[in-house]
Amino acid sequence: MRRGLLAAVTGAMALAAAPPANADIANFDLAARIYTKWLYRNNDSQGLLNLGTPHPDGDDYAGDNGVGTEFELKFFGRVSKYVQGYARIQSRFGELWQDWWESGNRWYDGETNTSGESGGMNHASYIKLRGTFVRAAIPIPTIDWVTIGSSDLGMFNPWSIGKVRYIDRDNAKGIFLDGHVGDGIFSYNLAVIALPKLYVGPYWSTGLTDPNLPNPFWSADWAYGAKFTVAPSFGTFTLVSTLTNDVEIDRSDPDAVGSLYPDCTDDLGNPIVGCAKDHAVDYFSRYMNSVTTIEAQVEPLSWMSVNAFGGFSAGLIDRKLAANGVERMAGVSPVVYKDTYDFAVRARVELSDPFDIGLSIKAEYFNIGAEWNSIFGARRESDVLLTDGFLEGGQLPTLNLANEFVDFDEPWYESCIGWHGGTLVAQYAIGGFDMSAEGTYMTYNTNAQDRDVETTYPNFLHEDGFTDTDLYDYANTTDRGRDPRSVYHLNQDRRTAIAVLNARYVFDVLGGLELSTKAKFIHDLDYRSHTTASDDYTGDLLTWRGKVGLGVAPGLLVEAGAQIDRWWEKRRDGTLKTGYGDIDTAKHRAFAGLTYEFEGLKFRYAIEFLDKDQFREPRKPDQHWLVFRSKASLEVNW
Amino acid sequence: MGSLRGFVRIPWLPTPGPGWYASPDVPGGAGMRRLVSVIAGVAAATAAAAAIAEPVVSLKDPAGDDNGPGAYTYPTDAVYKPGSFDILSFDVDVKGSDVVFKVGVRSKIEDPWDSKAWQGNGFSLQFVQVYIDTDRKDGSGTCEGLPGMNVRFRSASCWEKVVLVSPQPKSRLQSEIGQKAAKMKAGVVIPTATRVDGKTLVATVKASDLGGKPAKGWGYAVPLQSNEGYPDSKEVLTRKVNEYAGQHRFGGGSDYACDPHVIDMIVAPGQGGADEVRMQHSALKYSCDDQDKPKVELPMVYP
Repeated sequence: MRRGLLAAVTGAMALAAAPPANADIANFDLAARIYTKWLYRNNDSQGLLNLGTPHPDGDDYAGDNGVGTEFELKFFGRVSKYVQGYARIQSRFGELWQDWWESGNRWYDGETNTSGESGGMNHASYIKLRGTFVRAAIPIPTIDWVTIGSSDLGMFNPWSIGKVRYIDRDNAKGIFLDGHVGDGIFSYNLAVIALPKLYVGPYWSTGLTDPNLPNPFWSADWAYGAKFTVAPSFGTFTLVSTLTNDVEIDRSDPDAVGSLYPDCTDDLGNPIVGCAKDHAVDYFSRYMNSVTTIEAQVEPLSWMSVNAFGGFSAGLIDRKLAANGVERMAGVSPVVYKDTYDFAVRARVELSDPFDIGLSIKAEYFNIGAEWNSIFGARRESDVLLTDGFLEGGQLPTLNLANEFVDFDEPWYESCIGWHGGTLVAQYAIGGFDMSAEGTYMTYNTNAQDRDVETTYPNFLHEDGFTDTDLYDYANTTDRGRDPRSVYHLNQDRRTAIAVLNARYVFDVLGGLELSTKAKFIHDLDYRSHTTASDDYTGDLLTWRGKVGLGVAPGLLVEAGAQIDRWWEKRRDGTLKTGYGDIDTAKHRAFAGLTYEFEGLKFRYAIEFLDKDQFREPRKPDQHWLVFRSKASLEVNW
Repeated sequence: MGSLRGFVRIPWLPTPGPGWYASPDVPGGAGMRRLVSVIAGVAAATAAAAAIAEPVVSLKDPAGDDNGPGAYTYPTDAVYKPGSFDILSFDVDVKGSDVVFKVGVRSKIEDPWDSKAWQGNGFSLQFVQVYIDTDRKDGSGTCEGLPGMNVRFRSASCWEKVVLVSPQPKSRLQSEIGQKAAKMKAGVVIPTATRVDGKTLVATVKASDLGGKPAKGWGYAVPLQSNEGYPDSKEVLTRKVNEYAGQHRFGGGSDYACDPHVIDMIVAPGQGGADEVRMQHSALKYSCDDQDKPKVELPMVYP
């Protein structure tokens, strides 16, 4: 609650109450938000989110046409000088304005009808407790804070335990210790975190739905993290070590539910030596992922920054307790189905305007092992490499990416497992003008022949072609290109060159007139099988985007632009048996938008027109899309 | 709707053909070489055209004094990395008809809240207000700091101009000033461009917006705050300093408006000496006798 209101409330209480006013409210901070989103497109799907969960039985509110509202209330409590409390409650997002009095009871077995009680709880805007924590500055030497409860896990790094995506920001819960020694030169963060049962492990879970587990056990699955930082005057040195441990019960234990030997006899009825009930159950680790990284950030000169990073990742899987998700789920698995060990190295040098003429240089070398995996690393909203990559959003060293729960205007992320190469970026800025040019060349540690993508390495089923993030569908019914997680292929001998040019000029007109442009060229080459040249892939991607933005009035920004894409792909997809086909793609996008902010109110609107042609004949019929879509949001915070 | 297909096709853009494919043996091929040549040419030509800087002001600030009057602490969220609000340098250059302000901090400036997504300037956390006394006349200028800073200026060193070095887009700054500091509007200068260069914030303003190029005798006060995208209804994009630190609140101050919301600042003589830490703490020392009235008077530095 803001101070003015706080003062008014406490003042009114003082006047109204005969006894001395109760000042408990002074221990509170309240923050609230109302958020409304409109989403419309020229198709017939209904819902409030372009891409929801890819799980076939997941949410039922994803779709392209709808408007809905959510309300959020946050409580910050100052229990005492050394103790704080926090809680956040929020309404479930998914109820369309048209749902009217939907109460959420699903009385009709999934069928929607006119009762007003058939939409399910996702359409009832119920209030849910989203996050809580208690934080205390316990008087133990070196400890600054102990936090018990929710955290966004932002204290580690994207390689190990990553900051959770925005929509999950309070879902992670654990116990966290932050402390320092001396004058802050040495600091540490320690954490024990409850593993999410839904995605951090084989079969996209910590046991749930795994066919090898008749009695999945997820309530004792934890991640452990430690970060130690030394920050002398000349730099910062950070060691991070993390472990995720998914445990399951020992089914040979006679005390376990679903035990294989409840009577301590084998299949032939013979007693098992050493087997005895003791009313206790033993555990085994189903899957563990450990990541250790060390990073040095030093500034030898005022205009020079050097960052050196190295890491080791290990994934240990118990095949008896984890079914083969690669084989059973058509290659869609967040882990390689075997024990894996690998390294990653990254070195980055940044020269910030060394000649004092506005010219800065960044150079990066990266080498990420083919079997590196960060099962609990950042899934989106982070970026570990300098390059623009194939997808603009960012590159992350995990198979566990989350390009889901997003709308058409949000960035995409891709896996950089196995990437090995270098990037050079030159930036120039003077006055209102700035530009940057990137050149990247890389090959892949995942290059291999006859890789086992049937039972060991997940290929995510759709592994060929540039990814069309503008018109993506999980099931790939529209030939949208490879899955951003697809880093393993049956035969691969690949290398890629990327060139990007950005330029921007801001004129001092009204609230600022900004002209910007981006051009990007990718040359992607994959010889695939060494036994023949008939499968050699060549992909050339050319993108150009131009945008004009103008601050029309205080708080009001408008923008408009266009984008043109041309993709030429030789032998884009197919098999050695069926042969490979060429596909060319042409996309044209025109877009416009505005942002208006006034006295705490924020309104955004974006509309775009997208025309896409995919030329696939004669192997497959050509395809054409003509899409109009828009998104608006209204938000107030107080 | 199929009739639109011809309309939206761009006739001058090359259609796919064999000539566009690079040699498999040369990644990038001729097309990429052409592109790199163009990039290099443009960069070289623009660099050559750059004007030579004329340094006007160059001040230093000691490291480790990012604690306001001595007891302020950073918010507890991990995005507020140590050194993010620790000023080390302040420079003013003149480049042609522009004036360039540079504020260097101790740690690399990051953009954890993706400012480009809200038309911002490539960083998220810092917010510097550069107050300038251009006439050094007693009683001349504005003697109140911008709302949210909880500071004043002595009558002999009130300001005529304040430059906002903020991650927020110009239209947002105009809106905030118009709504919350309308009476100061004439003195507020919003840069034509603001960007990040490693550990330095760089803001370019027109000299004419300052009333001319920086002259000898001008005074500067450079308090560093944090950009708050969801500010108090009466405060201009500033993050509060409370008695106890919160996830997104500085700690070590007061829950009322008597404490200066300044995490670090330049003090005279601006040479980065250890004594400047003590001088900063002394300058920002506050009392809360009148809880809602700021009394701290920021000192100007006259280089």
